[in-house]
Amino acid sequence: MTNTVLLNSIDHKDVRVVTSFGEQYGDNVWYTATFPLEFRSIQAHYPIFFQKDPNTGGFYPVAMTGFQESENLFLEGDKWNAGYVPLMIKRQPFFIGKQDKLEEGKTTEHRVIHIDLDSPRISDSNGQELFVEFGASSPFLTEMADMLETIHHGMETNQAFVQSLLKYDLIESFTLDIELNDGSQHNMIGFYTIQEDNLRTLDKDALAELHQAGFLESAYMMLASQSNLRNLIDLKNKRNGL
Amino acid sequence: MHKQISKIVIVGGGSAGWITAGILAAKHNCKLSPSVQVSVIESADIATVGVGEGTWPSMRATLKDMGISETDFIKQCDVSFKQGSKFVNWQTGENDAYYHPFTPPVGLPEFNIAPYWLAVKDKVSFADAVCTQGILSEKYLAPKQISTPEYAFNLNYGYHLDASKFAEFLKQHCTENLGVEHIQGKVIKVNNDNEGYIHSLDLESQQAIYGDLFIDCTGFSSLLLGQHYQVPFESKKRILMNDSAVAIQVPYESDSSPIASCTISTAQKSGWTWDIGLPTRRGAGYVYSSTHCDDTEAQQTLFEYLQNTGVPANVLDKVTPRKISFTPGHRKEFWHKNAVAIGISAGFIEPLEASALVLIELSARLVSEQLPQNREHMAIVSNRFNDTFNYRWQRIVDFLKLHYVLSKRDDSEYWKAMSSADSTPDSLKELLELWKYQTPSKYDNQQAEELFPFASFQYVLYGMGYETQLSESDIKPHNVQESQRLFKENQQHLSRLNQALPSNRELLNKINQYGLSRI
Repeated sequence: MTNTVLLNSIDHKDVRVVTSFGEQYGDNVWYTATFPLEFRSIQAHYPIFFQKDPNTGGFYPVAMTGFQESENLFLEGDKWNAGYVPLMIKRQPFFIGKQDKLEEGKTTEHRVIHIDLDSPRISDSNGQELFVEFGASSPFLTEMADMLETIHHGMETNQAFVQSLLKYDLIESFTLDIELNDGSQHNMIGFYTIQEDNLRTLDKDALAELHQAGFLESAYMMLASQSNLRNLIDLKNKRNGL
Repeated sequence: MHKQISKIVIVGGGSAGWITAGILAAKHNCKLSPSVQVSVIESADIATVGVGEGTWPSMRATLKDMGISETDFIKQCDVSFKQGSKFVNWQTGENDAYYHPFTPPVGLPEFNIAPYWLAVKDKVSFADAVCTQGILSEKYLAPKQISTPEYAFNLNYGYHLDASKFAEFLKQHCTENLGVEHIQGKVIKVNNDNEGYIHSLDLESQQAIYGDLFIDCTGFSSLLLGQHYQVPFESKKRILMNDSAVAIQVPYESDSSPIASCTISTAQKSGWTWDIGLPTRRGAGYVYSSTHCDDTEAQQTLFEYLQNTGVPANVLDKVTPRKISFTPGHRKEFWHKNAVAIGISAGFIEPLEASALVLIELSARLVSEQLPQNREHMAIVSNRFNDTFNYRWQRIVDFLKLHYVLSKRDDSEYWKAMSSADSTPDSLKELLELWKYQTPSKYDNQQAEELFPFASFQYVLYGMGYETQLSESDIKPHNVQESQRLFKENQQHLSRLNQALPSNRELLNKINQYGLSRI
């Protein structure tokens, strides 16, 4: 359950947030949402594929951290064994919320920070403090606010990214078949990737369009990220003692 | 050697004309290749019949092959999902009901489970034992999720749609994307050449339209086959006595009223009522035999049904039902010389199993895929076409009659007449005799593309409580085991789908908001 409320320096002045990792904090995820702005960092460590949002049917990119529900192969005790932790993990337990504000007779939408008070990361003794003297934001909270802003813009780009790819038939479904060292076969369905043949044969107008939007680079980064599957399989073999 | 068949002229718009045009134009790539041309002559002052509001699952492939986006179709034609038919009061008339779902019984095509259901038939209905769709339909659940790609499904489905919006939608797609020529005009004269083939059509505007193959989609008037060639009509009224219908559209109670997953067919005193849930309204009607019921009584029966299903009396005060009269039956020939009848011009029968649109699809597909090169070729293709569709009509008549002969109702003259032995075709009597000893099976399918596969016969037969007595040697122990595994699999499937599927209303709202993805 979540109990998400608008963050404020009065009600939440003593709230602290634990920033270490662990299953107890819900970090045992097998994939996490990402976005083109983050691909450069993500593709160095994780394979990037598309998933479908069960609520809208829309595609969104994810960084894979395991092969099945509750399996995060990068998580070992309280450590995350990779040089980069996806922003969607790091932002916890914060969310971006929207608030309507009436200014000079006009209603405008503002982004505000929400916090999940039921998150196991919430503490009154451990972790980072959110507010310092006189209700000012702590450096930690300021960093979080910047991160949420980045995520917000990143998620907005996702839509345009996916639309452009769909326009040129650049997304295809695939089944990931992996074989572990003990010879066991596993397949994962419900993932989508870049249609390479169509990407390679794009005409120059389409290429220019994708390039200008920065999406050509993102598409190739997704392809390059597939080499991380090997690493993920190795981690899985290691975990299984194979 | 005759010249190539290259110019196809379709007379009449409506669902029949535009479905046929779309199938032909997409298959022969009319937009880009000039070897086949398709034109539709449509008259603005001839109204379409427009009651075909239920499709079979075949419509999915038909639309997909035409290059139509399912999202566009759903948004523009007031579409909901149809997962089969629910038959109410057919067996005894005392609140009985059964489903004929579109999803075939579990185990098919490899394993026929019906013989093994007979042992447990007192505990669970056939449809619920072998299929999840009836139970899920009862809960108004959709056949797929928002993340399921266009035309793909969790449960097999067709559509309920607004027939006039559908014809308009197809017209636009055919003319804008498929290279079909649209001619506004009314045909006033049909001209033969010296071999008796149609050579041209004269329009009211003095214009003459030439063609090599003419398709008659003129509905009840059957301009080319009926009026011009005087091809005799074979009435089936002795077998299927319904010859009239009153149809009406009624609003839902609210925007959030649930949308039914199936066509609901409720047996009445002298016929049956249909009830089709579209996103914005319900379409309902009463099909009856005018020998047994007059128009006033028919309207009364329809209104009573609607009141019993939640339509307030003050809504009914404001609407007048539309009356349709027809002779059930079909032309003796559907393809004569160079004219083919598709749609109502070929035949019409009560819409008990929504056979109208699927016959259009099958006819158009056969013409399109077997498009003759010249007249010599056409003579052979047309003979085969006539054999195929005569067989199909016979099977439709038998299958529809099956619904009546199995009924135990005898509460009116109508039901006595409809279930009487002398109104039942011998072909059906023989099947019923056969099914006393064995369940319908793949050996009952005589054609590769049976309109009603044996699974459909099973659903109706056992839904209506027919008794099949197998001999003990028919039941094999290892098959009993397999059947138990399949029954269990069906149960597991049910609980998974029950969790995962949204309601029809919820999914349609989401499709309007987000669209379905092509992949």
